[in-house]
Parts: sequence; C-alpha cells; structure tokens
Amino acid sequence: MDSIKGKQKKLESVVSISLLSILFLIAIVVFIRQSDYDMSRFGIETAVSEPITAKLRSLAPAGFETLSEEVYHADNLFEKINGKAPLYIESGFEKLFTQRLINKDNENLWMELFVFDMAALKNAFSVYSVQRRPGVEFLPDMQFGYRTTDSLYFVHGKYYVEFIASSKSDELFNAMMEVAHNIQTNLSVDKVTEIPELTLFPQDDFVTGSPKLYLASAFGFEGFTDIFTAQYKLGDETITAFLSRRPDPQDARLVAKSYHKFLIENGGVAKPAITKALEGKVIDFYDTTEIVSATGPFVVGIHEAENQQYAEKLATILINKLSQAKAMSND
Amino acid sequence: MTNPNDKNFNRRQLLTRAGKAGASIAAAGTASCLLYDAKGPPRHAVKAEQLVTLPDLSVPIVTGQTMSIVQGFDRKQTVTKAIELLGGIERFVKQGETVAVKPNVAFASPPMLGATAQPELVAEVVRLCYKAGAKQVIVTDNPINDPASCFTLSGIGKAASQAGAKVILPNSHHFRHTTLEGGKLIKNWPIFFGPFARVDKLIGISPVKHHARAGASMSMKNWYGLLGGRRNIFHQDINTIIAELSMMVKPTLVILDGTEVMMTNGPTGGSVSDLKRTNTLIASCDMVAADSYGCTLLGLKVSDLPYLAKAKNAGAGNTNYESLKPVLATV
Repeated sequence: MDSIKGKQKKLESVVSISLLSILFLIAIVVFIRQSDYDMSRFGIETAVSEPITAKLRSLAPAGFETLSEEVYHADNLFEKINGKAPLYIESGFEKLFTQRLINKDNENLWMELFVFDMAALKNAFSVYSVQRRPGVEFLPDMQFGYRTTDSLYFVHGKYYVEFIASSKSDELFNAMMEVAHNIQTNLSVDKVTEIPELTLFPQDDFVTGSPKLYLASAFGFEGFTDIFTAQYKLGDETITAFLSRRPDPQDARLVAKSYHKFLIENGGVAKPAITKALEGKVIDFYDTTEIVSATGPFVVGIHEAENQQYAEKLATILINKLSQAKAMSND
Repeated sequence: MTNPNDKNFNRRQLLTRAGKAGASIAAAGTASCLLYDAKGPPRHAVKAEQLVTLPDLSVPIVTGQTMSIVQGFDRKQTVTKAIELLGGIERFVKQGETVAVKPNVAFASPPMLGATAQPELVAEVVRLCYKAGAKQVIVTDNPINDPASCFTLSGIGKAASQAGAKVILPNSHHFRHTTLEGGKLIKNWPIFFGPFARVDKLIGISPVKHHARAGASMSMKNWYGLLGGRRNIFHQDINTIIAELSMMVKPTLVILDGTEVMMTNGPTGGSVSDLKRTNTLIASCDMVAADSYGCTLLGLKVSDLPYLAKAKNAGAGNTNYESLKPVLATV
C-alpha cells in the first residue's frame, strides 16, 4: 500500500513540475515577444503568408539574396510611403509587396522592389503614368516601362512595379533588369494587355510615352474622372490633348459642359474659335487655350495650350478620329 | 492522484481536498479579475495630470540674426557658415548642455534619393554642438518605416554615431500623451516625448521635398515624426496638423537643406531624377520663415501651402521672411 502511495506521489510531483515548466516556458516566450518592439510590425500582414511573396523571392537575380519582405494594404500603406499613399488608394490599390535584395559580395549594393497590386491594368497604368519622370529612357521590351539613371519602373498586368537602389550602379541596374524580366516571365497576370483608349489618340506628331491616365480630379476638376492625356509636338509647342470615354453621349455632353463651367468660374473667359466647328468650345484660361467638347460618348479637348491655332488643329484631328471610332463602333 | 479504491481516503479527506481545490480556483479567478484590464492600453483617455508638454527650447530672438541663407554645394561648409551668420553655434548651445537633433529619417531609403536628411549634414551639426561644449548630443526620430532600417539605410545612424552622438530609436516607453492648447487635432494624442523630455536644446534638420499630400515637406513637417499612434489619420487635414506641429514644437534652431531638393514624387521620391540641385541651405530660429523661403526652391509660393498661413496666424512664425532681413552668403 505504501509503495502505491509513494508511486502516486512521485507521479503527482512529475506532472506538477512538468506543468510548471510549461507555464514558465510560456511566460518566457511571452516576455521575449513583448520586449521585441518594432513599430513597423503593427498592422502589417505577414509577408510569408502571401503566395506572391514566395514567388518574388524565387525571382531574385544571381548574386543577390532576399532580405526583409513586407505586405501593406490600404489601411497601412501610409506606413510605407506616407503622403504618396492617397495616389494609390484613390486609384484602386489593393496591396503592396516589398522585398529588399542585397548583393552577396557587397552589402552596400542593395535595392528594394515595390510591387503594387492595383487590381486592374488601367489602374496600374494610371499610377505609372502620373508619376513618370521627365526625360526618361523608355524600355523597348516593355509595353509600359522606363528607366532613369538609377532605377526602373514598369507595368505588368495589374501590377505597378518600381525599385529603389542604394546607389547608381551598373551591377544594380542589371540586377533590376533581371528581376523585371523574371517578373514578366513568371508572375502570371490576366490576359488583358491593351488599354483601348490609348489607341484612340492620333499618331501624327505624337510624343512617344507621353500618355497619362488621371482616374480622378484631372486638371483640378472633381468631375473629371478617367481622363487620358497625350502630348503632341506641333512646331515648337508641346500640346496636351485629352479624352475620356463616358457611359453614353448624354453623360459626355454633361461632363464637357461641367468642365467648361468650372473653367469659367475659375477665371476662364470664352473666346472666339478660329475653326468654326469649335465655336463655343474655346476658353482663354490665364493666357492659355483650353478646348472642351463632346463627340459621341467621348469628352475631348486640349489643355493649357500656348498656341490657339495649334490647339484647334489638334482638337479637330482628335475629334475627327473619335468620330470615326464612334462610327466604326456603330457599324 | 488519489486511488478511489483506497480505503484510507475517507469522506473528510475528500471534503478537505475539494475545499482546497475550490479555494485555489477562487484565488486564481479573483487574481484574474483584479488583473484584467477591460479597457486595454490607453488610447485617447489619459488623465489630464498625465499629459505632457514639450518644453520650449527656443532661444531669444536677436534682430538681424534670425535666419541665414547660404549658397553652396558642400553641406558641411554651408551649415557651418549659416550658423556662424546667426551668431555662431555658441549662441545656441552652451557648455554642458544636452542637445537633441531631430533629422528627417522617415524612410528606409538611401541618402542618394534625398527622402531623408543627409548623413554628413547631421554629423556636422553634431560636431558643432560638441565643439560648443555640449555634454551630450542625441540624434533621434520616430520614422514611418521600421526605425532600425531607416537609421541604417539612410546612413544617419552610422554618421551620427561616428560624430559622437547617441542614437535613440523609438520604443513604447518613449511615448506620452499630450494636448496642444488651442489645437484642433492634437488632443490627448501620443507623442514621441521621452528623448526630448530632459534636453536643453533642440535642432531640426530636414530636406526640402515635394509632398503629394501637403505640397511640400520641410522644417515644420519634420515634426510629424514626433506624432505617435495612427498618425496617418492626420493626412486628412494635413495643413492643420502641420500648423499645429509648429505650435507644439519650439525648437532652438532649424536647418533646412535645399542643396538638392526633391521636385517630384515626394515625399518618398525613388530616383535621382526626382531631384534638382539648388545649392541652398537655410538656418533659422523661425521655422515658418525658413519654410516660406524653402518653398520657393520648389517653385511654390507661400500661398500654395496653406499651412504656412495657418502657422503664422497661430503665432508660430513669420511667412514674410524678407522682413527678417535674412543674412546671405555664398561659400
């Protein structure tokens, strides 16, 4: 009987010590986790859980290794790009995946990859186009892509991709190009590769790579959504043309009328047109020429041209082309 | 671990053991109830007596020595000259004082991109403070990105340490709540207070940058780094929060670096293509005046940045910087 009691007591002791040990270990883990304070972790999703992160990691160029990976969504995008966040959020942003890559032989050579999931090609093109730096070199292998002396920017389906580099370096740039190529080859996207509105701009005198898409509040006018712009070189002048496809002709007329009114309310003055067909559509806006019209479902016009004659010439060509497009779509 | 067949285990023992177990459960439950914090960590409801106020660290105004503007490309030379023109570093830092230097270290970005203060400029200011007899110089910020990454990749951590400064990264204990008297937004809000609580002087160092939301990020916006909590909500009323920061923080001196300014795609930039060399550095006891001049480097007018007028109206400084007769020099 005594030996059974002794065994029971021993078993009780072992179980008690085991439980206390487990509790002690839990307390230590909690303490370590609590003391490891890192502000950037607050609200940031676990990058590891995102399939795309693993995919991006596998696309690292030779000689580089991946470091930190982060995922941001609309609620915490500010924590990564601060004041630039609204530009993305207002353009359909869904998630941002970032990954830092470092040269294995030289820790001073590093870059950070930013992959913005913009939900649609059009949205990705918008953020790409409105941030495009002047005087850049466009990349021939990419539909929408350019390089600066130290970086690379491009659109891949619904993704807008950019890099920041630690320094101007050929080695870094070549590595960026390799990552870009890997993304284009291996990161699958929807098959939609065209933005139809971009094909509507006339090609004569067109400035390559100049199109932009303003998804909201183009030219400071709240009602101006989905406005595509493109630049043209006429004589010594660079002129900006714009167009927007509306749901129907009535909406197009309404938007054109609203923008006309907005310009007049903000200091614009209606002025006679040189071209008869544009009568009532030309506005002098602080010594620049604005033209706004509607043709079919399109709002069309010229923005801040210094030369009225060129402005009207380009507007006429654009309106004619859109009329043909409208006629073809009616056929 | 009692054997129910044990004849020695009588009714009295059962009741005793059950009583002890019940008492243990009751004690644990009572302790849990006492320790349970139903409200969680304090967010906006700190008692008035627990609120803190940043000390006024400004120096008395000396007519004709409020602001200096120095042209030159070497930041070490321009900052030395700019401070010398205001009466020398000894006017601002006395023997045995502790100085806090608050550079803009918002992003984990290389210095080449100009999104953060330049390391050599921060280091030079630290050296000047020690030269004046400072007991200790601390360099600190509460960045938007991960603090350790920001201080490392911007080069500021290393440069400041090598110059003898103590680099302080934010931790949870540094944050205390404050309410700005007359403020609309800064009410019972956590601020990065700890490192500034016992310093004698405060010097802000910031680059001149385009800012997508605010128009420009300069000396006043630099204090955004002092805000804790979900500070991004203030972007909805960016002009008011910047004006309130100019009321909340009363620095000894601000250094506004316009040697190379970020003209586009701010506040993060991303390419050297966003930068323009303007070779100008401003030192000022009046940060509103400094920013009013600084915005001209971005091609902006004072009226383009509503927060400047708001700060002026709140008594934080002067937008008419010319009235201060800034001291000019070229090095």
